[in-house]
Amino acid sequence: MAGTKFGFFDANVRSINLDVETPETIEGVLHREPSLLKCIGCGNCAAMCTAGHFTDLRFYRLNLYLKRGLVNEIRKEAQNCMLCGKCQLTCPRGVNIRHAILLMSSIRP
Amino acid sequence: MSQKNNNIKQVAIIGAGPAGLQAATVLSQNQVQVLLIDKQAKTGGHLEKWSHLFPDSRPSNEILKVLQQGIQKENIQFFKNKRVSKISKSNGQWELGTDDGLVINSDAVVIATGFNTFDAHQKEEYGYGIYPAVVTSENLESIFKGETTWPFNSSGKDLRFGIVHCVGSRDAKCGNLYCSKVCCVTAVKQAIELKKKFPGATVYCFYMDMRMFGTGYEELYQEAQTKYNIQFIRGRLSEASPSQDNRLQVKAEDTLLGRPAKLTLDMLVLMVGMIPAVSLEMKNDAVYLNQPAYGSSFITPDDVFLKMNHHQQAGLFITGACKGPASIPEVLQDAKATSIEVLNYFNNKIK
Ligand SMILES: Cc1cc2nc3c(=O)[nH]c(=O)nc-3n(C[C@H](O)[C@H](O)[C@H](O)COP(=O)(O)OP(=O)(O)OC[C@H]3O[C@@H](n4cnc5c(N)ncnc54)[C@H](O)[C@@H]3O)c2cc1C
Ligand code: SF4
Ligand code: SF4
Ligand code: SF4
Repeated sequence: MAGTKFGFFDANVRSINLDVETPETIEGVLHREPSLLKCIGCGNCAAMCTAGHFTDLRFYRLNLYLKRGLVNEIRKEAQNCMLCGKCQLTCPRGVNIRHAILLMSSIRP
Repeated sequence: MSQKNNNIKQVAIIGAGPAGLQAATVLSQNQVQVLLIDKQAKTGGHLEKWSHLFPDSRPSNEILKVLQQGIQKENIQFFKNKRVSKISKSNGQWELGTDDGLVINSDAVVIATGFNTFDAHQKEEYGYGIYPAVVTSENLESIFKGETTWPFNSSGKDLRFGIVHCVGSRDAKCGNLYCSKVCCVTAVKQAIELKKKFPGATVYCFYMDMRMFGTGYEELYQEAQTKYNIQFIRGRLSEASPSQDNRLQVKAEDTLLGRPAKLTLDMLVLMVGMIPAVSLEMKNDAVYLNQPAYGSSFITPDDVFLKMNHHQQAGLFITGACKGPASIPEVLQDAKATSIEVLNYFNNKIK
């Protein structure tokens, strides 16, 4: 796109366009793990996560990517999870995080 | 009121909203002569404007009917279309003055003047009054009641609605630092109601904090997420503008992701906060009920723990949302507590 010519990115790249229709793959994940809808973004899962000390993995953010339709971001981050399940022990809303991550990491482009 | 029986005490209640109606009911049941005054033609205050109530979606009519039946008594007199503007006291008797010169005497006075909704025109960036698709939470209630029409083509498909929390509250720019307390749960109530009316619609709530303080409110929030799939985005809307297809284009920061978001909407609902209905001013031994100005505060009780229903002079009581944002169950309980205090005052139990 035009922006890169001058060595910087178009600011729009970071902007989330919520008018884009939710991809079916995402509907599928939400359908198979409805507890994702309960998340309140408290961040407890991320605070617990060992992988988060070394990578960008933040589960609540994965869930937000999902709700905003940002498929590429999900795939990249979900791969860092070790499926240890610590996050799930602390989640105050009882989100089935490990199953959700398994579903997310199997999303195909 | 000159030929009054000395054993029977008279109370003047200013405002016939839920708080005033409840106090009138309890006091009249206890042999007090009630003079109930409202600047409007009807009783019910804001309750009369709402369609269904949180937390249990009950039709507001049900509650209104009970409260209105409570005042169908011989010892209650209702003065409509009378705005009280002055309260004074001489020789133990209270005297109320209205804008049109009526004078009402009593042995005690209860102020139950409630609140006004914040004027959304002041938040110019949201375009209220400019774009018809921008409405307030108060407007939406009247649409739900069928008194006004939808500001979009209601047979359209894939409708998208946005709800903005904290409009006129928690905002130094508007002069209101406080939280209006009931608008988060009102947003959830209205979002659910919109989904019931338009099951195919997408509803976004733009919030700063979700303040679900009451019993059952947090559960309602969770139900909004899971059963109705309402989307909650933490971040305040920066602006609304017309889109190319004559809808609304809005921008907000999705603060949990740290990224800007934009979307097109068919209707934007502003959760207007509560501001005081009157601003009290003490002048020459009288209390004036002025129109509130920018940053006016609610009426302060003498002691927030121990004298929640008293205001500065013996025999002058305050009740309901005139003291600050409150829900209907809260103001009804408060009005009952106030009534006890009035009775105690008449029985010389408090000075
Ligand atoms: C959009 C919205 C939705 C809401 N939905 C709900 C809900 O679902 N459930 C719930 O529990 N609560 C709800 N509330 C809160 C509820 O409206 C209040 O708790 C309630 O109305 C407060 O009652 P009140 O009698 O103290 O004041 P009000 O209802 O404001 O009544 C005050 C009365 O005093 C009169 N008055 C004012 N000044 C004077 C004067 N100088 N002289 C004579 N009369 C005067 C007014 O005309 C009015 O009739 C909602 C609030 C908002 C803003
Ligand atoms: S701990 Fe649970 S509720 Fe909190 S952000 Fe993580 S998934 Fe969401
Ligand atoms: S299961 Fe994955 S996201 Fe959860 S704590 Fe373990 S590594 Fe982190
Ligand atoms: S109740 Fe919610 S919407 Fe209303 S002012 Fe408080 S935080 Fe904002």
